[in-house]
Order: sequence, then C-alpha cells, then structure tokens
Amino acid sequence: MSTMTDTNPTDVPQSILQSPKHWRNRAFGHHWRTGDEEFDAAKLGMWLFLTTEVLLFAGIFCGYAVFRMMYPEAWANGSHYLDWRFGAANTAVLLLSSWTAANAVRCAQLDKQFWLRVNIIITVVCAALFIFIKLKFEYMVKLGQGKAPGTFFSYPGAHDPHEPLWWSLYYVGTGIHALHVVIGAGLFCVVLYYAKRYQSYGPTQYTLVENAALYWHLVDLVWIFLFPLLYLIH
Amino acid sequence: MSHTEHSAAENIAQLGWDPDDPHGINPHHGEHHHFIADWRMQVSVLAILLFFTFLTVAFFRIEAWAEVAFGITLPGWINIVGAMTIATVKGILVAAYFMQLKYDKVLNTFVLLFCLLCVGLFLGFSMIDLGSRNLINNFGPGEIKMGGTGYNLNAAPADPDFSVKIGPKVNTGGMPIIYEARLTGAGGTDPHYWGLNTFREDPNLDEAYFWKNFYGAHATHRDLLDEHDYFTQLGFGQHHETSTAQQSRGRHGLTPGLFSDVDPAAHADAHGASNGHGANETQDNGH
Repeated sequence: MSTMTDTNPTDVPQSILQSPKHWRNRAFGHHWRTGDEEFDAAKLGMWLFLTTEVLLFAGIFCGYAVFRMMYPEAWANGSHYLDWRFGAANTAVLLLSSWTAANAVRCAQLDKQFWLRVNIIITVVCAALFIFIKLKFEYMVKLGQGKAPGTFFSYPGAHDPHEPLWWSLYYVGTGIHALHVVIGAGLFCVVLYYAKRYQSYGPTQYTLVENAALYWHLVDLVWIFLFPLLYLIH
Repeated sequence: MSHTEHSAAENIAQLGWDPDDPHGINPHHGEHHHFIADWRMQVSVLAILLFFTFLTVAFFRIEAWAEVAFGITLPGWINIVGAMTIATVKGILVAAYFMQLKYDKVLNTFVLLFCLLCVGLFLGFSMIDLGSRNLINNFGPGEIKMGGTGYNLNAAPADPDFSVKIGPKVNTGGMPIIYEARLTGAGGTDPHYWGLNTFREDPNLDEAYFWKNFYGAHATHRDLLDEHDYFTQLGFGQHHETSTAQQSRGRHGLTPGLFSDVDPAAHADAHGASNGHGANETQDNGH
C-alpha cells in the first residue's frame, strides 16, 4: 500500500539491527505456537482489562444519573458553571491524539520507524495539553472560586444546596479520567523509548503499541461521554 | 487407509502445526497478515468525529440561544437524547475504526458488548428503582443529606450506624454548607468571592462595591442584608423563569443583567435621594 506518508524503510544502525530487542530479533514466547496466537491472546487480555475500566467509569456515570434524577436543579446549575469551550477543546485534543495513536499502530505494522515516533510524540504532547487545559483553566480557577467538592465547598454564589455534590462528582469523574490520561501517556513514553533506542516494534512485533493504543482509545471513548454529560446536558 | 492418513495430515496442516517446527520457533511460519488500516479511512474517521463534536456543541448553543432570544424551550429529554445519540455514534466510530473492532476477531467485540450489557443493567435498574419509588409510597425519592449537602453537619445522626465524624472545620452550626459558604466566601483577594461576613466585619468596605461583586459572582438570590436593594438595582430583580417538573433551568449565566455595566453607586444615590429608606420593603422580592 503506497501512501503519502510512506517513506523508504529506515536505515538501521548495525548496533540496533543486532540487538535482541530489535523487532526482527524478538521471538514470541516459547509456549505459543505462533506469534499471532501470542498477539491475539495479549489483545484479548487487553480487552478484558478494558471492560473492567468501562465498569469503573460506569459507576461514575451511574452516580451522575442517580444524582441528576434526584437533584435536577443542582445538576442544571452545575453544567452552567462549566465552560463548554474548554470541554470542546479537550475533546478535539483527545480525538486528534486518538488518531495519532491509531497511526502509530499502522506505522509499526509498516515498519515506518520515524513516523511511529512522530505519532507517539504527538499523542504524548496532546495528553500534556489536555492535562494543562484541565488544570490551568478549569481545576485551578474553580478551586480558587471555592467550587470545591463536598465539605471543601466555599463558593458564595451557589443556589442549590446540592451543588457541592455536583462538584464531588465532577472532580471524581474528570480526575479519574485525567489519571488515565497520565497513565496512557506514560505507557506511550515507554513505547517511545523502546522504539527510539532499539526499534523494538515492527510488522511482526507490535503488541505493546497496539495495546497502548487500545488503552488510549478507551480514554478517548470515556471523554466522548463525559463531555456532553458534564458540559452540555442541563 | 492411506486416504485417511492423508486427510489427517491435512487436518494437522490446517491447524498450523508443522512437524518440522513443532513449537513454531520460526517466526515466519504460519504468519497471516493483520489488518493494516488505510490512512485515508483514518483521516475520514477523525474528520467525522470532529464534525460530530462540532454538531453536539452547535446543538447545545442553538438551544441555549433560542431559549434566551425567543423564549423557546425544548423539553429536557431532547437535550439529553441529542447529546447522548451523538456521543454514542462517536463512540461506535472510535471502537470500530480506531480500535479496529470491525476488522478484529469477533470475540473482542463480544467481550465489549457483554460489558456494555452489564453497564446497561447497572444503570437501568438504578433508574427503575429511583424512578418508581414514589409509585409505592408518597414520600418521593428520598433526599441524601449526610455528606452530599452538608445539612445539619453538627446535628446528631438519625442512625448511629451511619454517623460521620465531622471535624471542626466544617461544623456549619446546622446550616447547609452553601449558606456557610455564602457567609465565609472562598477567601483570597478576588472580591467576587468574598462572603457576607467580609461585608459585616469590615466597616470601611464600600457597600455598593461589595454587593456589585457579590451578585456579580452569580448569587442571584437577594440577601436580607442588602437593605438598599442593590439586588434589584443591578438588574437581578427579574428572574428568568424558574424550574418546573418538566424542565430544570440553571440560573447561572441566564440571569438578566448579569453582565451589564450598572454602576451601583450611582443607582444607590439616586434611589436613596428620591425614595428614602422605607421604599425598600415594597421592592423586596422575597429572597
């Protein structure tokens, strides 16, 4: 398949080519019959892990639904306190990074080592940008105004007695999501290190790239639902 | 006989087992090609996802604009169904194309769908429970007090099994935590987030300046301490339509005059000179 971003296969230094960590020299586990079986099993394991992640966030979504049903005015006020522009900007940032994560997998499959690194770097930069927007324009500002969770609440302009509960849910939901963003970025940093140092990922060996990307897409997926629930629905 | 041996060998070959390479050491053996995504498809999916993000925000903005400009209020479920439908379509696109479920083994899709079924049960039964409580008794959905609202933080718990140890920092003297916050404020130097106690305890503080900032921080409820009725003078007197059982309305950002430049000091002088003090009670609109 010839594409715009395709380049000639990277010139590999001899030291890396002979390293046991280079993708051509990496063997699959001796207890597997083929590398494909190992890959498929690792991917299935990743999907099983992702289901536990979905259930973790399902608890937060369920709490959101229950409290919204009980205290609709507090929830209506709460979504008005949030600025949709920051939520939309972060959505775009995460969608872009999800695309580069998918591209990273593709580059590993096609042995495009340079573009593999570029895509991972863009993904990590997007993660940092997401966290920056969240902290600088949302958490810091709101905490400074006293819009804090539970008993830390000290915002003098609240209307509904249940608004502290809204902020609890907001900080827990977005906080756990932000933690996932940090973990995903860390995972991609590990991938980037091995890709840069040993060129460890190629057409026959890219399990870690694939699973890191799956994790990242799930982080994106959760935000796709958190964004309208918190910022748009009132 | 030879025929059956042959087909057995064929079967073994189909299983991918090679007698010359019984443990599959040779990495090129039995390799089948994984799906490699077309970059044009990936770009298209990204573009569609960004378009849907734009669409959901536009839907939200147009709805808010129509409510303020024309007084058209759509039922609450349209807002929810619209936003959630778009989010679901986006989620399916991410799962099918970025996570490549469409081209992957069906087992992975099945794992995800089973998980989503569990989430559906989880959410669905919670909603059925909460939504049908008032069909059984007349009390309606119960109110969760401890921890969530800060009501009666220092009062004796109704049930000692669920007592919460509250430190002195958050002892509100029995009032809701948002009233406590209204009194003490968020601290700091920003006058928008000063509490009522700042006004009470600082004799040198300009009253009009204080109320301008206090109501400017979206406190659209009139406070009884506001005896010059800056609340009305600043344009907070006419509330937007209040919430009903069918439609919850946030007060924040929709209050008329919230962002207008009204000089409270000028209003205060004119008001005080013409009407005197006694007129304030008649304008008090109840909060």
